[in-house]
Amino acid sequence: MEHIKTVETRNLCESAKNGGCGECQTSCQSACKTSCGIANQKCENENK
Amino acid sequence: MIHQFKLNGYNIVLDVCSGSVHVVDDVTYDLIEGFETSGKDELIDKLASNYKDIDRDELTEIYESVEGLKEQGKLFTEDTFEPKATVLKAKTNGVVKALCLHIAHTCNLNCEYCFASQGKYHGDRAVMSFEVGKRALDFLIENSGSRRNLEVDFFGGEPLMNFDVVKQLVAYARSVEKEKGKNFRFTLTTNGVLIDDDVIEFANKEMSNVVLSLDGRKEIHDHYRVDYNGKGSWEKIVPKFQKLVNAREGKNYYMRGTFTHRNPDFLEDIKTMLDLGFTELSMEPVVCGESDPARLTEEDKEIVMKQYEDLAKLMIEKDREGKPFTFYHYMLDLKGGPCIYKRISGCGAGTEYMAVTPWGDLYPCHQFVGDEKFLLGNIFDGVKNDNIREEFFKCNVYTREECKNCWARLYCSGGCFANAYHATGSVNGIYEYGCDLFRKRMECALMLAIDREFNQDGNSAQ
Repeated sequence: MEHIKTVETRNLCESAKNGGCGECQTSCQSACKTSCGIANQKCENENK
Repeated sequence: MIHQFKLNGYNIVLDVCSGSVHVVDDVTYDLIEGFETSGKDELIDKLASNYKDIDRDELTEIYESVEGLKEQGKLFTEDTFEPKATVLKAKTNGVVKALCLHIAHTCNLNCEYCFASQGKYHGDRAVMSFEVGKRALDFLIENSGSRRNLEVDFFGGEPLMNFDVVKQLVAYARSVEKEKGKNFRFTLTTNGVLIDDDVIEFANKEMSNVVLSLDGRKEIHDHYRVDYNGKGSWEKIVPKFQKLVNAREGKNYYMRGTFTHRNPDFLEDIKTMLDLGFTELSMEPVVCGESDPARLTEEDKEIVMKQYEDLAKLMIEKDREGKPFTFYHYMLDLKGGPCIYKRISGCGAGTEYMAVTPWGDLYPCHQFVGDEKFLLGNIFDGVKNDNIREEFFKCNVYTREECKNCWARLYCSGGCFANAYHATGSVNGIYEYGCDLFRKRMECALMLAIDREFNQDGNSAQ
């Protein structure tokens, strides 16, 4: 029996290496306008 | 730090700082829970007495797998990001990449719950002239440094009450973007009353996104979203929204509703939106003062939490039927998603994002417009209020003690400044009610993402 299934995810520690280009959308611009969530945003870094 | 929870048959373990997500069985769930507080033998003894069908060798194997994940940086990862919290903002210091243009401080609806006080933002009615709008776009271009993608939201009030200026501004932006090396992405937020064929054609050609205000059920929508004669707007706007969305041919849009004390059971409103043929949905808790009857109560919270869970289950059900839909807050790209800098920098209000009033004043975001304490400057002379700018610049996920201990901090990046300010009097505070809802949304979003990963290979509505 499989005890642990690990889902493929972006490694946040690794994302520090080429991250921070600032090209992604501003957090609340697209739909909510009254709360803050960044998890649902796309990464727009062309060199990640 | 890890966060573990059980939802919809899944035992989920999130390693907060690496972003790793694991789905485990019950024994492993309990083992991980005790991993940092108990010694190996003690923990295995305890589990052996609770799980009689699993022998000690197997328990030892599970223990070693968990140890292995820790060594690989996929469990119990330390938070080493704090020194990076100011890097992104420092790197892009002074760069503005998004403006919310308050194209009209007036509205053809008179919604009592409006955070912008019926579009007037506690001031006089006003519309933005082409000259002010053009200067705002130039201000954005001049202050955007090397950033290529620039975002402009036509907001209000009701922006279609000043539609000619919207069209002129888009035409102006398109005429200069190539030569300036920029790409404008426009969004239009509208209540729908003035949508006609001209608006539809224009919006579908020029707007990367449209946000259409609809609260769901007719009786819910028509309670607040009324005209100045008190007549509900649902009948009038729904066919217009349907026509616009049908013509959109896959381009982004959101049906964006607000739920209040009248409808904490907002899943019914989501279902109404689905019945009307809409699939890209956003439903937000109302933002209002303490004495407002629309305000969500503590009793409502329990209902709302349940709605979020049921919504995620409905999405799974619809996935299985081959009729997936999107809920804005459940869009979670586990394989992609924002980098760590973005996740710890805060929302960008007051630094990379600002709101522009019809007469050209700059505020940290649309929710601060009208509160003179937060006036940053204007599009003609630039940002002059360094104290306020500095306050927003310094704000990040590590400036709030509560966030340091919150597992969801890398998903909200510290929360909404305006909500924090209205709840506590400081942009460095936290709006606890909102945090509780946010954490629930993230648990549901994670569960949904896992279900899609395991069962449907990333099904999504678009």
